[in-house]
Amino acid sequence: MKTVRRAWAELVEGLRIAFGALAGARLRTFLTTLGIVIGVSTVITIVAIIQGLDRSFEEQIQFLGAHTLYVDRQPWIQSDDTWWMYRNRQKISVTELKAVQRESQLALSVAPMVGIRGKVARGGVELESVVLRGTTEEYLNANGGAVQAGRFLVSSDVELARPAIVLGTDVMDRLFPDEPAAAVIGKRVLVAGRPFQVVGVLERQGQLLGMPLDNVAVMPYPTFGRIFGAQRNMVLSVAAPPGKIADLESELTPILRRARHVQPGKADDFAFNRQEQFLKLYKQLTSALYGMAVGVGLITLIVGGIGIMNIMLVSVHERTREIGVRRALGARRSTILVQFLIESAAVAALGGAVGTALGLGVAQLVALLSPLAAAATPSAIVFGIAFSTATGLLFGIWPAWRAANLDPVEALRYE
Amino acid sequence: MTEAPLISVENLTRHYKVGEEEVRALDGVSFDVMRGEWVAVVGQSGSGKSTLMNLIGALDTPSGGSYRINGHDVEKLSDDQLADLRNNEIGFVFQTFQLLSRSTALANVELPLVYRGLPRKERKERAVKALEAVGLANRMHHKPNELSGGQRQRVAIARALVGNPSLLLADEPTGNLDSATGEEIIRLFGELHQRGHTILLVTHEPRLAARCPRAIRLSDGKVVADGPGADVASLGAPPVPSPHPGAAA
Repeated sequence: MKTVRRAWAELVEGLRIAFGALAGARLRTFLTTLGIVIGVSTVITIVAIIQGLDRSFEEQIQFLGAHTLYVDRQPWIQSDDTWWMYRNRQKISVTELKAVQRESQLALSVAPMVGIRGKVARGGVELESVVLRGTTEEYLNANGGAVQAGRFLVSSDVELARPAIVLGTDVMDRLFPDEPAAAVIGKRVLVAGRPFQVVGVLERQGQLLGMPLDNVAVMPYPTFGRIFGAQRNMVLSVAAPPGKIADLESELTPILRRARHVQPGKADDFAFNRQEQFLKLYKQLTSALYGMAVGVGLITLIVGGIGIMNIMLVSVHERTREIGVRRALGARRSTILVQFLIESAAVAALGGAVGTALGLGVAQLVALLSPLAAAATPSAIVFGIAFSTATGLLFGIWPAWRAANLDPVEALRYE
Repeated sequence: MTEAPLISVENLTRHYKVGEEEVRALDGVSFDVMRGEWVAVVGQSGSGKSTLMNLIGALDTPSGGSYRINGHDVEKLSDDQLADLRNNEIGFVFQTFQLLSRSTALANVELPLVYRGLPRKERKERAVKALEAVGLANRMHHKPNELSGGQRQRVAIARALVGNPSLLLADEPTGNLDSATGEEIIRLFGELHQRGHTILLVTHEPRLAARCPRAIRLSDGKVVADGPGADVASLGAPPVPSPHPGAAA
């Protein structure tokens, strides 16, 4: 009990001395903590921006349904040196579409997608490079999304290859400025020089990695084939029931192998793409950024720590007599050690707290002034303060050890 | 009626190595101090009295011999035990006061009790009492630089007394004070002696030693006289037969 009380009394005394000493030398405290402040604020800013990017990326990627498989002849994410492997693969065609529609038990819906960039015009307005997409009435079921006005394609549009078109919001806004979506329905537009009737307008989808998703015009795929050729590669969007995406993949593999006449023993000549893979790729990219943040953080914390060590050595030197007095009055070596450790930890924690606040402020500013989002999690704040305190403790060991091992006689006599 | 001495110093030596040379700062010193005595240790500078004070104060450890205070064999103690011994048995009064400048008088006086692990309330009560005992009840919340020299030394004496030590160890306590204030402090020591405190006063002033009931004179690390203060002090009355006393040291 007495030991505990003594330890407590010494801890309180240590804190009192530490803050007394820090308050007594404000300029020095400020300069000492500057290194830690800059280090911690840099790391907090970087981490907050990365976490903001993470969140916005996860929001953006939602347009690739979490439960949708995208069957293509090649994987969408490839390493640089493998692209040639997929070049000569047979295109995905209506054959595979029909096979999947016919044979799959698990698929909730299947939609083909063919695409090209082309012109969409109306009156005097001509838009270059709109994403023209051919599909079926299943498109929204397989991929997600909705119409905000009019209707989506229906099966008869597809069967009869009607010149019907559903516009993305960007396309609508530029072709029909200041007109509400409902007013656009039934209007005529020219796609690659041919007349189409607008039957619907899609909801806004936003962007993915800076690419707008709303610069799109959707038509029946047979219509698309008549204009741009029917021999284009298709991507099949296949929606799975929640949690069944892996099962769907195993079910589709033999169906596609049969449809594409892949010999037994040969590798698949098609690939399943899904949202998850983009997340994985993204995580790889950001882990490099995280690594950089950690590197910067470590370097600045070391620099800041050396600053603290330096100032603590000065402080020990200046307070040699005080140390002697305390030793004479009954302070043990460990008491002095703890006292100076508390002081260096307190300086560093102070710097860490200020740095964290500053970092969060800068991150908010970046979020305000740039398209980058910034989000700070409580863990970043805790880590910022905890790491700087630990730095203070680590770099305080040597000065504190020196203080504790001063000879009391010498220390008392020190001028 | 054989009471054990409070302090028992036997054949105490302390050697320092200065380069190749060995300096015998203390060279076989022996004496006892009984409880309640007021003893002056006098000598020229370099006589070993500071070394002796450091050993008696348990700030330093001897090269040889033995030192007992209140039943503790000091030469056998660890560093932590020495710290605890200083805390419990010894109250220091220094020539330069050695108060912590950023702390109030009260906080300075409380400090030994912090290291003893006493609860805050008890610390404060005892510190207030100690300050009252030295006549500074109205200066408790002043910092040292707001106090006069005499007041500072009173705070230091209160700090020395607050832990109820068995020995009050004073090193030239009047050295930094003018003669009137020094006289006050000496009178305060006299009162403390009257109240039963054991006091060891280290000084180079024979005049001061003469007022103590007993004095021990050191020279070249040895005890050369031990007796009533007036007698021992007068031994050194014609200090050193040199026209430049400072040079003789």
